[in-house]
Amino acid sequence: MVLGIVDPVRFLLDFTALYAVYMILSVSLNFEYGYLGIPNFGKVLFFAGGAFIVGGMTARFVAWLAGIAYSPETYSIENVKLSMQVSQYFAQNPGVAILVLLLAVVLAIGFSALLGLLASYPAIRLREDYLGITLLAMGELLRVIARNYEPWVCGTFGVAVPDPLAWVPTSLHDFAYIALMLSAAFGVWLFTEQLARSPFGRMLRAIRDNEVAAAALGKDVVKTRMKVLIVGSAMAGLAGALHAFYTHAVHPDDYMPIRTFLVWVMVILGGAGNNAGAMLGALIYTLIDRLIAQYKYAIAAPFDVNYLSYVILGIVLILVLMYKPEGILPEKPSETIDFSRKKQELEQAKQSGRELEVFSSD
Amino acid sequence: MENTAKRGGGAGEKRGEPMIHLEILKEAVMFSNLLVLMSIGLTLTYMTLKVPNFSHGDFATLGAYAAYTLYKLMGAGIVSTVPVAFLFSGAVALMLYYVVFRPLWKRGAGIVVLMIASIALEIAIRSCVHIYADVMTAATPPDVFFRGFMITEEFVLNIGGLVLPGLLTLSTLMVVVLVVSLYILLTKTKFGIAMRAAIENPSLASTVGINVDLVYAVSWFLAGGLAGAAGALIPLYFPCDPESGWWFLLRIFTVTILGGLSGLWGTIVSGYIVGFSEVIGIYLLSQPPLSLSTAYRPAIALLILVITLLVAPKGLSGIEWDQVMYSLKKRFGGVVSVGVGDSRSS
Repeated sequence: MVLGIVDPVRFLLDFTALYAVYMILSVSLNFEYGYLGIPNFGKVLFFAGGAFIVGGMTARFVAWLAGIAYSPETYSIENVKLSMQVSQYFAQNPGVAILVLLLAVVLAIGFSALLGLLASYPAIRLREDYLGITLLAMGELLRVIARNYEPWVCGTFGVAVPDPLAWVPTSLHDFAYIALMLSAAFGVWLFTEQLARSPFGRMLRAIRDNEVAAAALGKDVVKTRMKVLIVGSAMAGLAGALHAFYTHAVHPDDYMPIRTFLVWVMVILGGAGNNAGAMLGALIYTLIDRLIAQYKYAIAAPFDVNYLSYVILGIVLILVLMYKPEGILPEKPSETIDFSRKKQELEQAKQSGRELEVFSSD
Repeated sequence: MENTAKRGGGAGEKRGEPMIHLEILKEAVMFSNLLVLMSIGLTLTYMTLKVPNFSHGDFATLGAYAAYTLYKLMGAGIVSTVPVAFLFSGAVALMLYYVVFRPLWKRGAGIVVLMIASIALEIAIRSCVHIYADVMTAATPPDVFFRGFMITEEFVLNIGGLVLPGLLTLSTLMVVVLVVSLYILLTKTKFGIAMRAAIENPSLASTVGINVDLVYAVSWFLAGGLAGAAGALIPLYFPCDPESGWWFLLRIFTVTILGGLSGLWGTIVSGYIVGFSEVIGIYLLSQPPLSLSTAYRPAIALLILVITLLVAPKGLSGIEWDQVMYSLKKRFGGVVSVGVGDSRSS
């Protein structure tokens, strides 16, 4: 018992898992907004897309594969039982479990990428405000469908997700999850960071800073926006899939538009255009979220404390936009040639009296 | 007042009684009236700062809660709560303009930053209303609700012995008054003409001595007020809760984009297009053979939005009708016999 937390290890595990999910989301939004300036107000759509694919397909696919019998008519009520049977099957067949996990993640990523293409298509050629409105509106639709079309993720009942790491010994089980999620988050970060430092990344900033100038230099603005939205949505799909596996359940009402807002808070607060900022923002928010979840019932308020936190976050976001729009960790200039080092080398060369090639490629 | 309307999020209740068609038409008119009242304000604010205000729906929620609080706790009449809701939401909108939007705008914030700020406001206001609803539900007698409430009292207007259905008449009356007064304001008064000038070209207008700032402030007050007045009517029609404004927001955006973000008259026409297609569309879809749940209702507004963006992103006000008629005429030879000056196409 530490600081009133009954199980500190559990708390840390949950914290890390949630952090990995939020980090992927905020890095992906930073990729879209921070680098290219796309106002993606429908992030939750792509997050939900990944989760709904995992929730809707994993158990049924394995049931079909392993010949576990279930009746589709009563699936809404009996999905927990089926999911437990599938988990037991996974415990005995680690190979199948890993393959199913990979397949589900790949499908989730693909589905979210497709959603990214479809949701942005009507407005991708138009000004940012139209794109923002369209994405925001689309974000509601998938949840409404999932909530009312029971065969997919069992509507308002929600669906249980089998555990593809059921074969890992109990003592290591949760740590295996954390390792999996953190490595996925690290992969997303590495990918984005590398892309941002590449010529492609510099092109994104060029388009963001002056669309007309970039277009005049032959950069296809619309195509680039589409590519970035698809990649960003795919990352959000990965986050959704991991979140669904970790929490072992998918409820359509978990995927409210408020999630989009939270990711925006993370990116703007941490610093748009800087992956370290997006990661810091995700860390700050995850901490707030976990602490509220932990101490919520200790606070005697006649209302839900979460709402109070949303009010405060909304006001904080506006204050940041007004007084520190670059966020806690501001964007750094693109790394091309380290001029400070070049300068030193030039000085040294001058002193030693030899010629130095100014733009050598060391 | 009879309430055949069910909010989209509720259980998909089938409606199949006779005389339903008249009820459906009535519902469509009422819904469209609310949409027009709410959307006009969004267009107005869009024309000033050129930013879609995502917190616009919450002005309606605030109006609804202000009116309901007056009605339930102080026993005010339904009609008298409407101006109060107008003033309250208008004051909030004016305050937000001066505290948030104007300072950001003066700092040269781009359109995306202003949009983010308006989303932050949306969340903050909505959560405030949630808190208010929780606190009030706990503080008032158990039979008074501040979530999912409706005004179930029979609401009729008695004008000179003529008894009329209240909501239908009142909302239609409000739209008529709005259209007439907007027309007079924008074309006959000095202030209205100054308003149009300030909206069309702010820097030129301020050069000739128009107080652009005042014009913008008045626009924001009117925008919030109109949404609030419409919001006061929501509980007569739908069960109202803190999310009601958010629920309307998608429709409001569809209406303003279909209407074209550059003109007020397009917004009025498109309000009726969206309202009628949604109410009649979901009624038809919920009947056999499709028997869809009414919860899919937002999909209709979304579909209209997508089609508008793909076909005519400038909306109704932006379509050059001359051009359209000319190309139709050319394609169908002499079949289209509407006389159109095609000066600009030659």
